[in-house]
Amino acid sequence: MMEWAKESLEKLKASRLARLDQPAPQPDSAQAEAILKQYHPDYLGHERKVAVGPNAGEQEFPLELAQLLEGDSSLEPGYLPKAEIETDVLILGGGGAGATAALTLEGSGLSVHLATKLRLGDSNTVMAEGGIQSALGDDDSPRRHFADALVGGHGDNDPDLLRILCEQGPESIRWLSQLGCLFDQNEDGRFSLRGGGGTSVPRVLACRDYTGLEIMRVLKDAVRLTGTHILEEHVAMELVDDGKGRVTGAILFDRNAGKTVCVSARAVILATGGSGQLRLQGFPTSNHVGATGDGLVLAYRQGCRLIHLDSYQYHPSGACYPEALAGQLVTEAIRSTGAQVVNAEGVHFIDEMAYRDVLAGAIIKETAEGRGVKTPHGKIGIWLDTPMIDLKKGAGTLARQFPGLIHRFERYNIDPAMQPILIYPTLHYQNGGICIDSECRTDVAGLWACGEVTGGLHGKNRLMGNSLLDITVFGRRSAESVLRNIPERGAVTLTHLKRFQAEREKMGGSHKTLSPKFFPDASKMKLKPASVEKKQEEKSSSNNFEPPNPFNF
Amino acid sequence: MAEKTVEIKISGKTIQAQTGETIVHALWAAGMAESVKTGCAGGVCGACTVTLRYSDGRTGGTELACMKPVEAGMEIFPCPVAEDTAVEPVANPELSTLQSAFPTLSRCTKCGSCTTACPMSIPVMDSVLRMQKGEFSAVAEDFTTCIHCGLCRFVCEDKVKPHNMGLWVRRSLGMSRNLAIAKTQASAEQEWQYLLVEDGELRLQRAKKFRQSERIEP
Repeated sequence: MMEWAKESLEKLKASRLARLDQPAPQPDSAQAEAILKQYHPDYLGHERKVAVGPNAGEQEFPLELAQLLEGDSSLEPGYLPKAEIETDVLILGGGGAGATAALTLEGSGLSVHLATKLRLGDSNTVMAEGGIQSALGDDDSPRRHFADALVGGHGDNDPDLLRILCEQGPESIRWLSQLGCLFDQNEDGRFSLRGGGGTSVPRVLACRDYTGLEIMRVLKDAVRLTGTHILEEHVAMELVDDGKGRVTGAILFDRNAGKTVCVSARAVILATGGSGQLRLQGFPTSNHVGATGDGLVLAYRQGCRLIHLDSYQYHPSGACYPEALAGQLVTEAIRSTGAQVVNAEGVHFIDEMAYRDVLAGAIIKETAEGRGVKTPHGKIGIWLDTPMIDLKKGAGTLARQFPGLIHRFERYNIDPAMQPILIYPTLHYQNGGICIDSECRTDVAGLWACGEVTGGLHGKNRLMGNSLLDITVFGRRSAESVLRNIPERGAVTLTHLKRFQAEREKMGGSHKTLSPKFFPDASKMKLKPASVEKKQEEKSSSNNFEPPNPFNF
Repeated sequence: MAEKTVEIKISGKTIQAQTGETIVHALWAAGMAESVKTGCAGGVCGACTVTLRYSDGRTGGTELACMKPVEAGMEIFPCPVAEDTAVEPVANPELSTLQSAFPTLSRCTKCGSCTTACPMSIPVMDSVLRMQKGEFSAVAEDFTTCIHCGLCRFVCEDKVKPHNMGLWVRRSLGMSRNLAIAKTQASAEQEWQYLLVEDGELRLQRAKKFRQSERIEP
């Protein structure tokens, strides 16, 4: 297997025993800084300022995102909003944050609609592998959790949000457990806690390497048992407002009916997640199909400020080979359990538990300086020496703790317990996002936000396990704030959009980009109005095809 | 190993694909993304269920289109599975509670279709038999990697709902756990004051020390 890398694999095997007990090379702060500035994608000048909206001329955004923030609405010109659904609370987004908000609103007497572009649960949450942080260890405290996350975020974290995150950690684990999440336990019945990059004590709870799946399938099941009206395959196209600066609902696109639906709501919770599918600088991504940053664009048009969006997380260990798995996540927990990062020469070139941004930069540096391994598809990566886990922790450890990794690679005849896997950084997490206060309120009345779409909490580098905690803590908090502060129903207008469009025109020579993007470019998917679809159907109806029964087991 | 163009069929229509890419990416490239539902495209959401036939006579079966690489002559049929109604889990579950929540449990005829259909290699039928005996811890373990694609339920002639029962067992056991989660310590407020100092640079310096020693340095 991997015959093409035979020479390098031999070097790696030859150095393995010597590496086993050798301490990992630790970059000092000057070296780390140099690695970031020279090699981390955030620092290479692929950003610019935007010309319109609340952050105009202020901070920088990745080029791909800046284009979308300045873009125009996909609504038909002349579209007049008229409420077709009336609800008290409209949640936009069906991942962990949105589902948590829906559960928190249950029993309040308010009517709740949850709209999601794909299906309930299709999200970055379900793809999270490594775990969720909570200060439950004997030597741990929420203050220590806070200190770790603040240092990891380069001190840029909003301290008030971060304190809430860390203080609510234990309570969030209790809440998830009561819903039926099964986090791994030790034989003594206490939660099994692992280290993560930048944690000073073991603090990461997990369900093997399917932690996000465990949380999402439980949340999804629980939400289906509430009175929440779930609108699947309903894409948020635009937010509407009352003409006096308050958000009062949204215009959705029903993908199955092929038409828009205008929802009037007393409160809107934006939980639309991240934007890895923008594929910044051509990077692969570990994100789900819907992660196109739609919520950022919608909120920005309404006047919400954005923060730290010049900062994205490139997860150091994305799969690089086989090609079919390129960009998919190989959890950090593999590294914290003992797999080393090794270059083509068999050299353990950096501590694999360095902060994610530094490690990603260091991997890019190795490949840029010719110490990477080239795949038959032309990609270049470095080794993650997974067989070391069983060497260090005993035979069978890898398979027991990481069934997901084994399962994904086995169809390619790669057994990570026996041979290393090739990795390269993958676009993983949107560190920045919409500015919120400690109650998840945005700059605009009537609009709350929670989860990956928000910014400030994680500073400029998020630690492993803090995003699953984020969606739980702030998903609940946004709903609790809505319960306390819900306004009366208002008119539905496109006043803010009109104002934004006027500003766009003033900027002169504005580009024709329509936004949000809704789907990844590579997918070629578009919102299809029913009239278009019908015509296509008519054309192809002469070619009617009946599938044969495929069940010939 | 280099990429090669091959022909595959989606619902009877022939398209070109590159070896090494998954069915989902081949459909994207061909502009036919919507012929199969997608969610995560990473093998954990269960949206992209399909059935397959091979041109060389090998037995086809069910797959996730996002995980399955294309092969020359492969025929693909979309096989979306609708959600089933959720069933409320209960703490301290017993066999009788499971039986009344899922009356079809006893109907399993041990045909093994569910196990064959599972894209996660879960021993589904064996686990259904364990459910019939009330061996819930083993069942919870079996369904650790379940992505709820629904294929095991979809292929069952006897309307058994293995994945729904698997989740019900897992949630029910989870709710039954007795958790000791510690209360906040007395030193908390003083430490927060120390860490939440107004000056951002000083805050970072203090955090760097505190995370190592877990105490306020004089």
